[in-house]
Amino acid sequence: MSVFAVARLELRRLAVRPLAWALAALTIAWLAWTFILGLGQFVGAQVKLAAVADAPGFTDLVAIPLLAELAKLAFLVVPLMTMTQLAGERRAGTLALLASTGLSPSRIVLGKYLAVLVWLGLWLLATLAMPLVVGVASTADWGKLAAATLGTALLLATLAAIGMACSAATGFAAIAAAMALIVTLALWTIDRGAQAAGVSGGFLEWLTMATHLQNLLRGLVSTADLMWFALAIALSLVLAIRRLGADRERQ
Amino acid sequence: MTGTALLNVDAISRRRAGRAAVSDVSFSLNGGEVLGLLGVNGAGKSTTLAMLAGALRPDRGGIRLAGHDFVAKPAVARTLIGWLPESAPLWPELSVDEHLLAFCRLRGASRGAARRAADGMTERLQLGPLRRRLASVLSQGQRQRLGLACALVHDPALVILDEPANALDPVQVGELRKVIRERAAAGAAVILSTHVLAEVVTVCDRVAILHEGTLRHDAPLRGDESGKALEATFFGIATGAGA
Repeated sequence: MSVFAVARLELRRLAVRPLAWALAALTIAWLAWTFILGLGQFVGAQVKLAAVADAPGFTDLVAIPLLAELAKLAFLVVPLMTMTQLAGERRAGTLALLASTGLSPSRIVLGKYLAVLVWLGLWLLATLAMPLVVGVASTADWGKLAAATLGTALLLATLAAIGMACSAATGFAAIAAAMALIVTLALWTIDRGAQAAGVSGGFLEWLTMATHLQNLLRGLVSTADLMWFALAIALSLVLAIRRLGADRERQ
Repeated sequence: MTGTALLNVDAISRRRAGRAAVSDVSFSLNGGEVLGLLGVNGAGKSTTLAMLAGALRPDRGGIRLAGHDFVAKPAVARTLIGWLPESAPLWPELSVDEHLLAFCRLRGASRGAARRAADGMTERLQLGPLRRRLASVLSQGQRQRLGLACALVHDPALVILDEPANALDPVQVGELRKVIRERAAAGAAVILSTHVLAEVVTVCDRVAILHEGTLRHDAPLRGDESGKALEATFFGIATGAGA
């Protein structure tokens, strides 16, 4: 299937691109440092925690904060990973070449999106390996960790879809990255004004990405939150596909 | 227009940057024919070729390829068209071999078929010594040869070459001419866009001249006189002295 042919091609290109390796190495080193610090503090606080009824455990104090740290980094890493996907190709002239192979815009976008998802999935797995190794030897709350992992994975997939849409919108990779960063940050904090005014609930709160991720990081999996992520991903990918389709009309 | 031709181009037009880049261009092309497309810079050659390759959609007009409405269904280009754009865009991170395999796989070839096609094209265009080299370190001439290989690797019925002799040395130009004639002998239709009149006289069966976006001349090339006659026609059109 040509979606997989595009994904394979993109994965091959990602595998030899210094940016992908540099981002992976630097962020995983940072996350490992964060994990070790968190683990040290958790071990140091064992005596105090033992005296508290229903005290938070390894999952709450080490594993989920690590995933939250990864989510923070993702706001910078994902736009850098997606910026060249379509914008760079358009500038290099290879996007027209891809279109000339008869591939539809949807197949090109989905293939490239799939490749970015594979990279992000490996990034998430490498990060998750740290709490998993310790978790099997301790008393981790596996249900809560699974929910938090699902939330982080959905966040990464949403950021990647928004990054693809921004990359489709321009011929400049740096502009695509900046657009993706601003759009995702805006989506993360869109209800900040309402919160400052003491208003809670309502459409703005629903629109805010943080609302839905926080629930999953707390271990609450609800259809409404999953639907929000699915809608955000679908809308972004449709925008990317439509913009790419318009290339044949616009150039 | 020939109803049974491999390619039928019917009054295609396209505006770019606010001006008519191509206006009402019509022609047809049979399998085995080599059409030379001539024109000064900005005449509309690359825009016409991009429309024929499916990278641009005509504002008006139609293109039928092997009986299919190519404008409505650009997916028919998948196996039927091979396009070498001007300046041969490539992926700098991929090797010569990976490019050839990727272009076959993108067009739906199985892994084994892609391997066989890539090996055959590597041998035919003498790319063996460059096989593992990344596109980013190739010379301009080598990039051009790789671009040509990518356009031909899936054995297309219509080959579109935009300035394929750019940066090639005389030996490679000779080899390029041989490859074009081979493809035509095998039944493919070839469109060759170039600034070099001698190139057209040597390899083409027909010549079309575009000027200011319109097709001003479309006629077969015959005999040794064609070179001088073509030169006179081309300069007449390009300088506005004739049509």
